[in-house]
Amino acid sequence: MDLITVTREEGLRFSVRVRDHVMTTDMSVAEGGKDGGPSPVEYLGVASGACLATMVQAYCDARGYTDGDVSVSLTLELVENPNRVGGIVLDVELPKDVPEGDREKLKRMALRMPVPATLRGEPRVDIEMF
Amino acid sequence: MEMVQLGGKQVEIDEDGFIQDPDVWDEAVAKDLAKTEGVDELTETHWKLVNYLRDYYLEYNMAPMIRKLCKQTELTLKEVYELFPSGPAKGACKVAGLPKPTGCV
Repeated sequence: MDLITVTREEGLRFSVRVRDHVMTTDMSVAEGGKDGGPSPVEYLGVASGACLATMVQAYCDARGYTDGDVSVSLTLELVENPNRVGGIVLDVELPKDVPEGDREKLKRMALRMPVPATLRGEPRVDIEMF
Repeated sequence: MEMVQLGGKQVEIDEDGFIQDPDVWDEAVAKDLAKTEGVDELTETHWKLVNYLRDYYLEYNMAPMIRKLCKQTELTLKEVYELFPSGPAKGACKVAGLPKPTGCV
């Protein structure tokens, strides 16, 4: 896995670099930022939706389901004490020619895809301060 | 907290615009709350969502989980956001007169 770096631009806006790709993260105005980009928590939703879309699209492409593309809509359920994401709710739109049997199979597979599986597995978070 | 005019009466709201006393809620209050969310007219589908939230809250004293809300109203997540652009929690629950959700939608 390549190194991901997060460096400050200004205020609560940070630049996130992954290889040669650069993204911005910021907090909303209500939370002290300037809404210059998605919040870090929103990126968790981005990762989940993009993971699901990528994997499901690859499955559909491999099986020749071509009547439409995969798209994902999602939202995060936030909970308190401590503030965190309590749930991720995802709607996945499939190509129209995916048969009913495959839809159920895909739903089961989706929970085993890298980001959902990581979240469900409570990954170790190892932090050092320098 | 501040007092504002909603549905022809003085109503107390919090800093995010949620009414503080669910008992003062009525359809006129809902219509004015909707306007604060950029929803100028409440359609039949808006009301289906609002009434479901309201009934659920009155029965369980909490807002439903989003997936339950979608299933019971037969709406997709996208459709819920089309109805209430600020979402089920900040938009729909506010219009339904629920306290600001902390744990569910």
